[in-house]
Amino acid sequence: MRHLSKTTAGAAALALLLTACGADDFGGGDDTATGDDTTTGDTTTDDGTDADADAAADAVEPGSESLDGATITVGSKDFDEQLILGEISKLLLEDAGATVVDEIDLGSTFAAREALTGGQIDHYWEYTGTAWIEFYGETEPIADREEQYEAVRELEVGEGLYWLEPSPFNNTYGIAMSREAHDELGVDTLTELGELIESDPDAATLCVESEFEARSDGLPGMEAHYGYEFDPNNVSVLDTGVIYGATADRDPCNFGEIFTTDGRIATLDLVVLEDDQSFFPLYNVSPVFVEDVYEQYGQTLSDLYAPVTAALDDETMAELNARVSSENERPLDVAQDWLTENDFIG
Amino acid sequence: MAAPPEVEASSTTPAGTGGPAADTGGRTRLGDLLHYAGTPLVVGAALIGLYLWVQGLELDVIEARQLRREVLTGQLLQHLRLTIWSTVIVLALAIPLGIVATRTATRRLAPAIIGLGNAGQAIPSLGLLALIFFAARNVDFFPSTGTIPVVAALVGYSFLPILRNTMVGLDQVDAAVLEAGRGMGLSSTQILRRIELPLAVPVILAGVRTALVLNVGTATLAFLFGGGGLGRTIFQGFGLQRLPLLVTGAVLVSALALLIDWLAGLVEERLTPRGL
Repeated sequence: MRHLSKTTAGAAALALLLTACGADDFGGGDDTATGDDTTTGDTTTDDGTDADADAAADAVEPGSESLDGATITVGSKDFDEQLILGEISKLLLEDAGATVVDEIDLGSTFAAREALTGGQIDHYWEYTGTAWIEFYGETEPIADREEQYEAVRELEVGEGLYWLEPSPFNNTYGIAMSREAHDELGVDTLTELGELIESDPDAATLCVESEFEARSDGLPGMEAHYGYEFDPNNVSVLDTGVIYGATADRDPCNFGEIFTTDGRIATLDLVVLEDDQSFFPLYNVSPVFVEDVYEQYGQTLSDLYAPVTAALDDETMAELNARVSSENERPLDVAQDWLTENDFIG
Repeated sequence: MAAPPEVEASSTTPAGTGGPAADTGGRTRLGDLLHYAGTPLVVGAALIGLYLWVQGLELDVIEARQLRREVLTGQLLQHLRLTIWSTVIVLALAIPLGIVATRTATRRLAPAIIGLGNAGQAIPSLGLLALIFFAARNVDFFPSTGTIPVVAALVGYSFLPILRNTMVGLDQVDAAVLEAGRGMGLSSTQILRRIELPLAVPVILAGVRTALVLNVGTATLAFLFGGGGLGRTIFQGFGLQRLPLLVTGAVLVSALALLIDWLAGLVEERLTPRGL
């Protein structure tokens, strides 16, 4: 019995330890991102919603104190994009008269979500694809941006969580290669990557995160969708932060899994392959609020956020990310500049 | 959680698991059986329990894919390989250095050597992995990802327990015994080989056990730098919120740590000179 309790205690302690590590050290797991002007822009789905956004822009004047008396606790995950979004929320809400409690930089997706459902925070920005797959255990993403958002929104209302309109920008997965490898191997699309696996399997080396390796919207799904398979010996599992450099150096792989709004893509001159058969799911981001706050200020918040969210397209977000990741600016300053330049705050 | 003294007792003196029958030093048959088979039995039971639990679950696609036998076996072997390699290398480095640091002629090197060991362990294991990764990226002949840099980090991390225990083990040898050895005309090398090292073995091996268990634990981070191992399953479970993956990975790592500690305990018992 003593031994058994030791085993269990060991397992529990280890799990705890790892949980702690996960939260503190590498929340980057699923998320990552730091950004820059990356990608192809093919993933942007800037349809609809913008008309509302523009209309709403007039409803709340910059500096109007429509959230007087409200106290809202703002959280975020721990990577650049999330820090910027968190600061945007803080400045926006403060500008509208709310008292903001700053819980930005909470850690991983898991940590931020726990804080939200556990009542430690009232709001953070979450990605539609993340909620669908990680919170609700779905394995098949929905290809349409609006439908994906609606599906998540409805599920979340049941949990007392309210998702405002999502951003046009889409921080999804992609496969990238160094400029040198691109010139040498001549691969431009994920379909052509399959041809390379056929013709020169040893050049088709791939670096992925452990999570991408397991996800249905990751490697297994991509292989099934495109109808090819990497030699397992040519797939290296690495930390997100390591993959970008490893791909740029072509050591140990020619191809690397990346996030499409990550700043390092431009910094390291990586070429993102076109997802020509549209496999990767959509990761548009929405401001999410808890019931208490939403019930009291829902309409005000929708009006306040709509124009801001609508302005966050792939290029904008990548640019903001790049200022933090490549130029070492503070997320708060980046958020402040952007909000001021666009007259979102007074 | 078991009370700390109890854990301490059962991990350092396995004889304690014999219960009342074993408390007098003269062991009974049952005591012997529990002494040698206790840990494997418990680990086996935990693994069977895990297997049955997982079998009874309705796994989704992701869980089923990552809990396949070949996936887990592969990770287990990677994990074992990392642990064994790093422990062998750290033994080969830390014990000689520990000896050097306790010789009269070279004793003044001790602070530097200990400082080295301290530095390795003071840096968080993840930080050490990252440091080695960044250092290796700038060196052509040393790979920055895969087994080699990860083993290097594990060596750095488990260096201190073996080094320090070697030094403590050698230092605690009674001066009178050394004097007697000298009186018998033994050279200092002979004294080291025939008197000091054998007397220091229990303490050194305690350090080795600590290092082994540390390495099993730290190797869960190896996957971040291409070293593979069971950390992959654990972190997939964590990142994707799949409890079966998290639990399977954690139980397997714990089982591995317990079994290795148990094996090292058997070795320790064999190598400890009689009468100690």
